Amino acid sequence: MIRPSRFVQRLAGKATLKPLKHAHLARPYAPSAQNLPKSNSPIVSKLDFFNSVTGDGTQIPTYRVLDGAGKPLEGAELPEMDEAYARRLYEYMQLLPTLDNVLYNIQRQGKISFYMTSYGEEATIIGSAAGLENDDEVLGQYREMGVLLWRGFGLDKVMGQCFGNEEDTSGKGRQMPVHFGSPEHHFHTISSPLGTQIPQAAGVGFALRRDPNRRSRSIAACYFGEGAASEGDFHAGLMLASTIPAPTLYIARNNGFAISTPSSEQYHGDGIASRGPGYGIDTIRVDGNDVLAVINAVREARRRCLGQGRAVLIEAMSYRVGHHSTSDDSFAYRPRSEVEDRKRLDNPILRFRYFLESRGWWNNEAEEELKARLKADVMKAFKRSESLKRWELGELFTDVYGGEEPWNIREQRQELATLLKKYGNAWEPWRKELTKFKNNGEDLLKSAP
Amino acid sequence: MPPPSPATSLTKSRLFLASFRSSPTTNSLQRLAHRPQQQRRANSTAVEPPPAGGHLPGVATSKLLKSTRETALRIPGLKWVDEDTSSMGGRETRKMNTYQAVRDAMAIALAKDSTAVVFGEDVAFGGVFRCTMGLAEEFGRERVFNTPLTEQGIAGFGIGLAAMGQTAIAEIQFADYIYPAFDQIVNEAAKIRYRSGGTFNCGKLTIRTPTMAVGHGGLYHSQSPEGFFMGATGLKVVIPRSPSQAKGLLLGSIRDPNPVIFMEPKILYRSAVEQVPVDDYELPLGKAEVLVQGSDLTLLTWGTPVYHCETALHMLNSPSPELEPYVPASFRSAKIELIDLRSILPWDMETVVESVKRTGRLVIVHEAGMTAGAGAEIAAEVQKRCFLKLNAPVRRVTGWDLPVALQYEKFHIPDAIRILDAMVETLAY
Repeated sequence: MIRPSRFVQRLAGKATLKPLKHAHLARPYAPSAQNLPKSNSPIVSKLDFFNSVTGDGTQIPTYRVLDGAGKPLEGAELPEMDEAYARRLYEYMQLLPTLDNVLYNIQRQGKISFYMTSYGEEATIIGSAAGLENDDEVLGQYREMGVLLWRGFGLDKVMGQCFGNEEDTSGKGRQMPVHFGSPEHHFHTISSPLGTQIPQAAGVGFALRRDPNRRSRSIAACYFGEGAASEGDFHAGLMLASTIPAPTLYIARNNGFAISTPSSEQYHGDGIASRGPGYGIDTIRVDGNDVLAVINAVREARRRCLGQGRAVLIEAMSYRVGHHSTSDDSFAYRPRSEVEDRKRLDNPILRFRYFLESRGWWNNEAEEELKARLKADVMKAFKRSESLKRWELGELFTDVYGGEEPWNIREQRQELATLLKKYGNAWEPWRKELTKFKNNGEDLLKSAP
Repeated sequence: MPPPSPATSLTKSRLFLASFRSSPTTNSLQRLAHRPQQQRRANSTAVEPPPAGGHLPGVATSKLLKSTRETALRIPGLKWVDEDTSSMGGRETRKMNTYQAVRDAMAIALAKDSTAVVFGEDVAFGGVFRCTMGLAEEFGRERVFNTPLTEQGIAGFGIGLAAMGQTAIAEIQFADYIYPAFDQIVNEAAKIRYRSGGTFNCGKLTIRTPTMAVGHGGLYHSQSPEGFFMGATGLKVVIPRSPSQAKGLLLGSIRDPNPVIFMEPKILYRSAVEQVPVDDYELPLGKAEVLVQGSDLTLLTWGTPVYHCETALHMLNSPSPELEPYVPASFRSAKIELIDLRSILPWDMETVVESVKRTGRLVIVHEAGMTAGAGAEIAAEVQKRCFLKLNAPVRRVTGWDLPVALQYEKFHIPDAIRILDAMVETLAY
């Protein structure tokens, strides 16, 4: 955009012109100047382009605590934890695929309209959830249901949202499945447009900094995929949170794909992490399949966010084992063998299980018991949810505005009510649909004139 | 010599320009000779553009502006927010232009609400239109601050703040540059309450942005994008016409429980001056204001064209000698009802429809282009509700369906002569 500053000054009036605006042009040339204005860049005589964040031109390293066999790397520090905490981590990592299996399959049966799994990213999601405080404000993309589960959202609400039934407290059945949200769990409602949450998180972080009760105590945590990082909102958000600044932790889930687009077609640089330093942001790349590495990175990032009051970036490297969504068949753009290899060679759940077993905190029996219990819990919630009705039909028209309802919405509600009265029985698609709502739409019919 | 009436001066200068371009007759040259002031103005335009407001002779002498304390304190719909000070001698008013009134509203909002912050490009030094002058010094840089140059970022940042229950007053430097934030405004701000089942909202967000033509703004300093936001349900869109309106409506917008886009007609920043109540007050959103009552035709507009309409009303009632042939004598006593819509979304259907049912005729005036502009929506709704009462087709006087071309602006905007013509044709239908 062109910003004709002279034009603007004319509009603002001559009296307010800054007379010294171009004074530097009149300054005598100073050959001895060692620095550029507004910069500490050293002056050099050698023509030297660069294209790497690291001094020696290698890629940014990936921080890891456990190797593929669950054994701590030499020199790696484990996060502080006891057996109960470690088992809890593992249980929530296992809960994700259990839920994913059921919800994926019931989508296939047409019982819910859509679903997105977290396969392969269990360590990133549960590890980061564990690294955050439970009242840090979370702004997610859509593959972060595990954070809500970790915070005690509960299976009924997960099911309620996916079914869009009367227990959908995330959005009264208005949004597509997996668009969760809950103020009491400090989880801002998911929306489909990619990247929009990234500058919003800067604002949330700034609000926390201004809130006397939460200053120096809470941060905003913002998740997004490596594909979403190509949106302009990524640029805006990181820049705002570093410049204004705001204690905001950005967690990029780099799982290698944005639907069908491999990350090699998403960027030419060194992933997402390489961009952090450009914004003046403390940055780390972490092995997203290593739950302990993720916890360590998030805890330290959180500390830095609060200490500096500004943004920190974590790029968690993983692999999207599942399809992008239930509307996607990923074998159309990647070989099945590649997926199978990844599942076998680097499974985040298995890696952590090896670690637990090496500590004597886990065994086959525990595994069987856990899997059976989780499956039973999920199936119970599913069955219960399936039989519930939707919110009242009148909710179609509420919550558009706060305060007084505008005339157009009021009138349109009445118009639908009138049409329902007229055709509710005669028009089969409506007759059938009405039975799914609480009161069969009676609440709305009442507003018919 | 008393100054010419606004109607006369506008008429003559525009006729002069029009006739000079088409066929410079002796008559027009004679007029030129007898009007050295206007010649100077024309010449000076070539050297440097006139100040904002230079093209609006109607504003300087507008009867719609509150010239006295008494009229300013009796603004229809005004709601005092603070304690009654009548025991201490009553409410005070002060002469302000529009940018000072906007600044005054923000100062009150900041003083009374410790969560309120003001941010945008260049707001810390006072803003390119002076609307935030002195606020950073008064309230600190943590509450009045510059953002990097990113409109989508500004809107998103404001949504985040508002989602945490804090008052976010964001500025987009020109309405022409609001489009990078369109996604944040339409997909996010407008829908957050609905999509979250009412559990989250960003009602404490207000986005201020200068709008409409300014005489020499060209394509990207002239736009009136209100129509683009008219379909963004969940949002409110407000456009004031004067300093006292700006203050009351802005305070109303800041405190409204919904995200509001507040569009300030930039040509009025310095040119519109009136008495403005000093205390804290609000004007209602979603309510139009009947400025002149009438029974023969409803003239509906908002923002800058309010003053073009006022001028056109003078021209209809007492046309200059040159215009007399174009205004049938029987129309000169026509009673025209002038309405300032003020809120574009939601718009005040009841006031407009009630008026048109009485007058049977409607002319809508806005600066934005005609196709799918706000006037289209209003015209459709009015014809549905007033079908049997309409004595003439609903007429729209708008910018052409063109970008706003720099050197052609006088022929682009819906000025007084075009409004006059539309009124005459609608009355004659």
